[in-house]
Amino acid sequence: MFPIENNVRAEREARGMTQSELGAAIGLTRQTVAAIEQRRYSPSLEAAFRIARLFGMTVDQLFRWEE
Amino acid sequence: MSFRYKSALLSLVSMAAIYGWFFLTVTWKPANPANQVANVALLVLTVVLFAVVQAIGHAILAITSRDKYGAMDERERGFDQRATNVGYYVLIVGALMAIWTLRGAGGFDMGYAVLLAIVVAECARQMVFLFLHHRAA
Repeated sequence: MFPIENNVRAEREARGMTQSELGAAIGLTRQTVAAIEQRRYSPSLEAAFRIARLFGMTVDQLFRWEE
Repeated sequence: MSFRYKSALLSLVSMAAIYGWFFLTVTWKPANPANQVANVALLVLTVVLFAVVQAIGHAILAITSRDKYGAMDERERGFDQRATNVGYYVLIVGALMAIWTLRGAGGFDMGYAVLLAIVVAECARQMVFLFLHHRAA
């Protein structure tokens, strides 16, 4: 598990989006979105910014380094 | 399974089956001029068959895929880079082994040896891609 926790799943579900829809909006596959949500993959900085911008949030609101 | 995973699986299976059949057929035939002409015709048939299977197979995968994003994304590009790295080393080893055909074998045999090296390297590349994809799932 990667040390960066995120609340992508909660924010996505709050907006009524599927993993596939989120992936299509930011240029990722559904499998990669699932891997990010389950902390099996740390997205690139660009992908993190894309997700945050899509949700109208900042990157640090969405991703946090777990101490 | 993502479109790229299915695509790699299709490429691996079709390449192993079609080119495997070609190399088995060529290996079993005695080397004489008549068979060499037949082998070249068989090679053309193999290349065309592989292209047709790839085109039809990928068209079916694209139509039936539920993924809204079909291109290779950053995570899969990482898998692809590592797989290509392994495939490159397999190709180099295969090409070096193909040099052995200089010892008495004809031009056709050398060509087939180089083709075999390319096919094995591509199969290795697809296998590593599938392995990395599967491990990360």
